[in-house]
Amino acid sequence: MKSQRRWPGESRFHGWLYLFPGLLIYLVFVFYPIIETFRTSFYKWDGFSRERVFVDFQNYISLVTDAQFLKALLNNLVFIIFYSIIPILLGLLLASLLGRKPLPGMTFFRTGLFLPQILSMVVVGVTWRWIFNPNFGLLNVGLRAIGLGAFTRAWLGDFQLALPSVGAVGTWVQYGFCMVLFLAGMQRIPNDQYEAAELDGANEFRQLLHITLPSLRAELGVALITTIIAALRVFDLVYVTTRGGPGDSTLVTGFLVYRSAFQQNQLGYASTVATVMTLLIFGISLIILRFQSRDGEGV
Amino acid sequence: MKRITFILSVVMAFALLLSACAKPAPTEAPSVPEAPAATEAPVVTEAPAAPEEVTLVVWDQFYRDVESEVMETLNAEFEAAHPGVKIERVVKTLDDLKVTLKLALAQEDGPDVAQVNQGRSDMGAMVQADLLLPLNDYAAAYKWDERFSSSVASRNSFTPDGVTFGQGNLYGVSPTAEVVGVFYNKTIMDANGWTLPTTFDEFQTLLAGIKDAGMTPISFGSLDGWNAIHEFSAVQHLLVSLDYINDFVYGVNNVTFDTPENQEAARVMQDWVDKGYFSPDFAGIGYDDSNKLFKAGVGGVLTITGSWLAGELVGDTDQEFGFFLLPANPGHTRLAIGGVGIPFSIRKTTTKADLAAEYLDWMTSPRAAELWANAGMLPAMPLPEGYVAEGNPLFNDTLIAWDTINSENAVGHYIDWATPTFYDTIVAELQKLFGKVITPAEFTKAVEVDYAAFLAGN
Repeated sequence: MKSQRRWPGESRFHGWLYLFPGLLIYLVFVFYPIIETFRTSFYKWDGFSRERVFVDFQNYISLVTDAQFLKALLNNLVFIIFYSIIPILLGLLLASLLGRKPLPGMTFFRTGLFLPQILSMVVVGVTWRWIFNPNFGLLNVGLRAIGLGAFTRAWLGDFQLALPSVGAVGTWVQYGFCMVLFLAGMQRIPNDQYEAAELDGANEFRQLLHITLPSLRAELGVALITTIIAALRVFDLVYVTTRGGPGDSTLVTGFLVYRSAFQQNQLGYASTVATVMTLLIFGISLIILRFQSRDGEGV
Repeated sequence: MKRITFILSVVMAFALLLSACAKPAPTEAPSVPEAPAATEAPVVTEAPAAPEEVTLVVWDQFYRDVESEVMETLNAEFEAAHPGVKIERVVKTLDDLKVTLKLALAQEDGPDVAQVNQGRSDMGAMVQADLLLPLNDYAAAYKWDERFSSSVASRNSFTPDGVTFGQGNLYGVSPTAEVVGVFYNKTIMDANGWTLPTTFDEFQTLLAGIKDAGMTPISFGSLDGWNAIHEFSAVQHLLVSLDYINDFVYGVNNVTFDTPENQEAARVMQDWVDKGYFSPDFAGIGYDDSNKLFKAGVGGVLTITGSWLAGELVGDTDQEFGFFLLPANPGHTRLAIGGVGIPFSIRKTTTKADLAAEYLDWMTSPRAAELWANAGMLPAMPLPEGYVAEGNPLFNDTLIAWDTINSENAVGHYIDWATPTFYDTIVAELQKLFGKVITPAEFTKAVEVDYAAFLAGN
């Protein structure tokens, strides 16, 4: 039998063999498209014709002077507040309310608050579009019902309010994820730390600041990275609710990519936007990781 | 360990973002073989056993039940009238058709007749690749110019090099049509004794009257964007000439968007916003929601949109509706935004061109018009003399409206055809115009930037 003639080192080869199917799928469906997108970003190409023109860095030059891209990027940064910062604060608050002392119906709250996270973004978008409907949407109808009819707005069509309105939906989706993440992290913190702090006269807020927060550093890192990535690549929510309008007040880079590639036949330019956004996300993630691991060494 | 998880999640996000918008390289597409020389294609594929037997391969995209039934009927009647002729029908969705047709038309056994999507990227590209047969001689022989006005024919026309849209050879004939006009709630109009306006001034007087009566004149929602183009452009069409709108959409003769007429149309829009003629909070309402309210009789007395809405306004409501073309003031030509459906074309290399042309003639005959109308779809060609859609006065209104602009050669355009980026540009600028973020002059200037860039790039 051949298997008897095995020598050290062959196992390495076997290892690659086991990896091969997964690696192949990764190479064909992930790695190759990424490289192809990067390459396409140097071409002027409509996406279907057989000839494409190499234009050097022309797409990148157009990008930095494109007022729409800059506006979209700015909107993405605003989305970080709604997708990342508010949900993390809210998640911390809810976790410290739910996590410390067992409440009746705790599982119910935890599940209920996590629910938005598991819904498809299209479902979320359609639902909120209905809630925001000026005529029969829940929000305006509710405001009128409690005598606040003066505060009703055309939420998604209002130049000032459209971005915060779509952002609020993002918050609604993300906070449950942050909360569950922090709840899980808090299970790890020994109770005696809190008891000791209490004996020393630290109130709930100081306990949060000096015990909970430092212990949750790892979870905070995960929450930051995933929510910021979500804020920078948001597309579906904008597509379903406002399509970037009114004007360009909710335009985001993800939507710009879609629009350039599939509506305006500028796949080269779309690839440039995608490449730049990917590098940006990569850079931000690396910075967060760096901070986190440096802090982590002190523990 | 945790760090690896972080890195993995980052890499995955990175990968997903990029892979979401990647397309395979064009070099991988199989190259289109050269079309065989016409002289090399004698009819060897025909079965010699029955010399009379001819099969005509037809690709169409009428896959919805009602539409498909019309096609089946027309094909059966064509076969009955031509003994020995067999129609081999291949039904595809539009997306599928767009992807596969180019290659198929280059094959020797490709479809003899096929529906070819209009516009530069489809019909234009196929003309460029010399895949379609010019129909000018057949059009003269069958007198298709009596069925379609020149502004309809120009939609299916290209110069032989496939570069200039809207002129040159005719490459297709369209069976169906649509027209943008005003739907009105007949129930409310009759109850208040309001009559249909015959000039634009009368139309604005009607709007004021409805507003004074405490109702919303125009049901409208601009959240989806595109239908704002129709509100603006319907009024624009009453102010500009057919030549202008043709030149503008086909990108010829160096016209501009920044004209007094376009500014005037934009001014009218802001005037209507100021006077409260549109639905309150229209900026936050979607197209379908606006129409639902209109249908229920609570959204507004009028709504400006395309004939396609007619089917949805019938049944399931106690309101009655009608349709009229937005009227122009004396001294102006009354144009209306209109379009025709995807046309039938003939493969350049077919050996059965004469039969195929006869088929196209049949597809745009009065009989075909009648069948399309019975199915609730607006035919592009005239109906048989005295045809009335039984029990559906609203649909009759749209039939009359299309017939009017087709016979008067007053079919205008969806202006978002003008450039690949025009739709996105004008939708964003119109939302700003309706939101009073910009003035009419700023509006026409901003849109012109897009248009001028396109002309310069061509």
